[in-house]
Amino acid sequence: MSSSPSDWEVVIGLEVHVQLHTRAKVFASSPWGFGKEPNEQVDSVVLGLPGTLPVVNREAVEKSILFGLVVGSSVPEQCAWDRKNYFYPDNPKNYQLTQKDFPIVVGGQVEIELPGISRNVMGEHKFVRIHHAHLEEDVGKLSHAGSGSLVDYNRAGVPLLEIVTEPDLRSAAEAEAFLRSLVALLTQAGVADCDMEKGQLRCDCNVSIRRRGAEKLGTRTETKNLNSISSVRDTVIYETARQIRELEAGRTITQETRGWNAELSRGYVLRDKEDAHDYRYFPDPDIPTLRISRETVARLQKLVPESLYDRQRRYVEKLGLPFTAASVLVNDRELAEWFELAVAAHPANPQGIANWVTNDLLRDLAASGAAGALLTDAVPPAVSLASCPIKPAQLAGLVKLTDEGVISKQQAKEVFTEMFKTGQEAVAIVDAKGLRQNSDTGELEKIVQAVIADPAVAKSIAEYRAGNEKAINALKGPIMKRTQGKANPVLIDQLLRKFLG
Amino acid sequence: MADLLHTLSAAELGRRLSAGLLTSRTLCEALIARYHLLNKKVGAFTHLDERDVLTQADASDARRKAGQGRGPLEGIPVAIKDNIAVKGQPLTCSSQMLASLVSPYDAHVTERLRAAGAILYGRLNMDEFAMGSSTENSAIQKTFNPWDLACIPGGSSGGSAAALAAGLVPLALGSDTGGSIRQPASHCGIVGLKPTYGLISRFGLVAFASSLDQIGPMARCIEDCELLLSALASADARDMTCFAVADRALTPAGDAKKLRIGIPKGFLGKGVGAEVATAVTAAIDFYRSQGCAISEVELPSADLAVPTYYVVATAEASSNLGRYDGVRYGHRSASAGTPVEMMTNSRSEGFGAEVKRRILLGTFVLSAGYADAYYMRALRARSKIRAEYLAALATVDVLLTPTVPTPAFKVGEKASDPLQLYLEDIFTIPANLAGLPAISVPCGKSGHLPVGFHLVGAPLSEAKLLAAGRLFESAHGFAHQQAAL
Amino acid sequence: MAEGFDIDHLAKLARLNLTAAEKVLYSSQLTQILGHFQALAKADLPETIDLARVVSESALRSDEPGPVLGAEAVTRIAPASRDGQISVPRVVDDEA
Ligand SMILES: [Mg+2]
Ligand SMILES: [Zn+2]
Repeated sequence: MSSSPSDWEVVIGLEVHVQLHTRAKVFASSPWGFGKEPNEQVDSVVLGLPGTLPVVNREAVEKSILFGLVVGSSVPEQCAWDRKNYFYPDNPKNYQLTQKDFPIVVGGQVEIELPGISRNVMGEHKFVRIHHAHLEEDVGKLSHAGSGSLVDYNRAGVPLLEIVTEPDLRSAAEAEAFLRSLVALLTQAGVADCDMEKGQLRCDCNVSIRRRGAEKLGTRTETKNLNSISSVRDTVIYETARQIRELEAGRTITQETRGWNAELSRGYVLRDKEDAHDYRYFPDPDIPTLRISRETVARLQKLVPESLYDRQRRYVEKLGLPFTAASVLVNDRELAEWFELAVAAHPANPQGIANWVTNDLLRDLAASGAAGALLTDAVPPAVSLASCPIKPAQLAGLVKLTDEGVISKQQAKEVFTEMFKTGQEAVAIVDAKGLRQNSDTGELEKIVQAVIADPAVAKSIAEYRAGNEKAINALKGPIMKRTQGKANPVLIDQLLRKFLG
Repeated sequence: MADLLHTLSAAELGRRLSAGLLTSRTLCEALIARYHLLNKKVGAFTHLDERDVLTQADASDARRKAGQGRGPLEGIPVAIKDNIAVKGQPLTCSSQMLASLVSPYDAHVTERLRAAGAILYGRLNMDEFAMGSSTENSAIQKTFNPWDLACIPGGSSGGSAAALAAGLVPLALGSDTGGSIRQPASHCGIVGLKPTYGLISRFGLVAFASSLDQIGPMARCIEDCELLLSALASADARDMTCFAVADRALTPAGDAKKLRIGIPKGFLGKGVGAEVATAVTAAIDFYRSQGCAISEVELPSADLAVPTYYVVATAEASSNLGRYDGVRYGHRSASAGTPVEMMTNSRSEGFGAEVKRRILLGTFVLSAGYADAYYMRALRARSKIRAEYLAALATVDVLLTPTVPTPAFKVGEKASDPLQLYLEDIFTIPANLAGLPAISVPCGKSGHLPVGFHLVGAPLSEAKLLAAGRLFESAHGFAHQQAAL
Repeated sequence: MAEGFDIDHLAKLARLNLTAAEKVLYSSQLTQILGHFQALAKADLPETIDLARVVSESALRSDEPGPVLGAEAVTRIAPASRDGQISVPRVVDDEA
């Protein structure tokens, strides 16, 4: 008799490696960046030449602390580095400098949002605890060429922050939501770029299952080096199914290290516990214990941006935005700040501004190639507003003109299109195009009366008077024609009803 | 005059150079001639680029002529142990592993010497990767004690000490992890100082045990030792363990006759030879006669020093030497089908027996299941030893013992007994464990072999050690001694 | 204290090949040395390790990119290289 999958609960913990946003490497002054020729970003320290010594990069330390502050962790008074010893050709010193006993960040939590039942309904929120985060160095890259392999050390020594969660995640969807939230926090605070295409975010994923309601954790497996959110999601789904299958077939789960083949969507065993490495950790004697001053922590605290979901709550609760618009805006800090600048310039209608931003602005930015990422739902949603031809106050001006009835909604679309092309002020475009609505009651009254008198519309007037509301619309066309489309439609409607009344 | 130049101190050579009585070229030519005469016998140098030396000498003479001399070391040759990087010169650490390596960069001390106008004069033999006390572990050649060519010069800076004692060079750099400057200094009758940990940048010193290693000056008299020390000590942002400010170490100490000297209780019981004991006791008596306060000091954990040292040092070494795997530089085995085989074969072919022994030992003390019993306990013992030394040095200025229990032994005599060799370092090791400055000063002979005494001081008390050494030296005839070869 | 001492395992961890004679020699020497270390096992030691050196943030390096060696120099000192990269025997998938 087999049980259903819902009898099992999956328990997931993640170790997320992110490359920190720095110019130089973490223990050496060599620069780093994507797309350089092999071994062009290597100095004698990175190469581990005899006699060279590591010196910790201040920016990497501060970015790590900033991350800690973003997730509300405590920043310890002291942190220290250890050596993790293992031989591998991509590891220049054959030890990795990492932090084992005294990491730079301890504790903290990340708020996540699960998908709602539809796109316009907010899903459940929960908190995922961070166990700690430690600052370490990346290794080089191996590629295979014929009968041999080639080593490029450009990536060696790039600062990595390894963020280790508590086993708080309970589904592939939660793991995915966690990573999306984490990426938003990291990118919004400027800690990391998290560009997965460039390998700037890599995960190790620990998965175990247990009977629902059971307290004891099952034996876990660790799948290493997942380089996209979708691979993490797929790995969780795959591992969960595999482990349930194993247990239900009466077998046991072995504690093992696994790999993931994204092309085949299949996991495989890298090594079992017997082959586990003996890393012979010990405190690195070249880097003294580092004391972190409270002044630094206080200074960095000021750089912590409002969190993703705090912002979302504020937009919904204080600005009255629908969830759909709020959730789009908060994904990107630059976009949200752009939006808020526009709101500051015209505080009366945040929702109107949000509509323009989330629909027209993003659409046109995407079309112009600046915000493709955002609309394709990729992470991070890298909108470049730097090149956006419309400034926040200009959009606010457009919304204001519409709100005041100076231009119609239809005209506003035309103004927006022009604004995106030329970057001109809304008022200037309206004037240049002569788009200003005609709201001169006296002039319009004359035109309305003239049209009513035209025998061509007599039939429509009769129908209207007979109770066909819609028949009145047949009179609006000729009026618009006589005003070159500038008549305020609201006013025309009022006047027609008055005269036909 | 040229035939006597090798007997002069660096300070005296400097005075003659400044006075225009001597050129750096003349000096270097004289030393090169002596090198040709004696180096084969002594085996101190593993490499000397004569043309490069003379080019440097000419440049120095030109600077001096132009009134752009750089100070007291201008034009003075300084020989360098082969584990300290000099750009464009070999950096072999006397190992097959690095036999072909030419350093692409300068160590911090090398930069300091260049800035001081010194001549970077050749590479000195050593125990492979500084592991040893006799220089017998060099994979390149043997070095012999100039006072008795049948004996070892000590180690691991044996080439440095022998070069000085043979008059091959006036100044030399050594490195000291557990006594590697002081022990050969004692065996060769010269002065060797291991500075406070952090006084001199380790950037460019090939690591043996990073928390213990220090570069230090070696010379034939206190004045020269001080001269070289002042040139080397300076802040260096490339070594996080290097002090930002360390002027205190070089600020002249007060009257050496007022020093309080502590004698560790029972040191003579530690296998100290009779003639060594006699010479060191005479030194103690001398200081007493000068008015120094002599008292006995308790160091209860002294017996833990050797095991603690060998656990810490080998653990760090096993990791530091991990980088020698044949991938990026150095020896690569010709036979290898897989990366693991390539690394394993390269290391097995490239390292000598003592290095392998220490790597195995260090790997063991860090390995799963044993790290707590060995490595972690050693760190705790190290804390205790350090605390005891600091407490003792709060009541006295310096601690005095022999540098080595016995004089230099015959080549090959202890080669098969590593533990016996490890005990050579019993008096010198605690200064490394506690990060304290220490000096070996020649104080007599055991037969025809030199003997030195050893002073340890509080952190950054180098000036006191030098003052104490000068007081002794000025009243005795051991300075500038050279073996008759 | 030296029980469980496994020379083959150690040699593998340290990436060293040992001949049969070397195994015998090193085993006996290491056993002797570790025996001498018994003093450590018996000693009364403090629980805490004093951190001899603690530095402040002033010891950190600023995030200024410095010079690099260049691929030419890297490959020049490498025992074997191809197209600016260091070549090694083929690595099989065992990510550490
Ligand atoms: Mg990990
Ligand atoms: Zn990691």
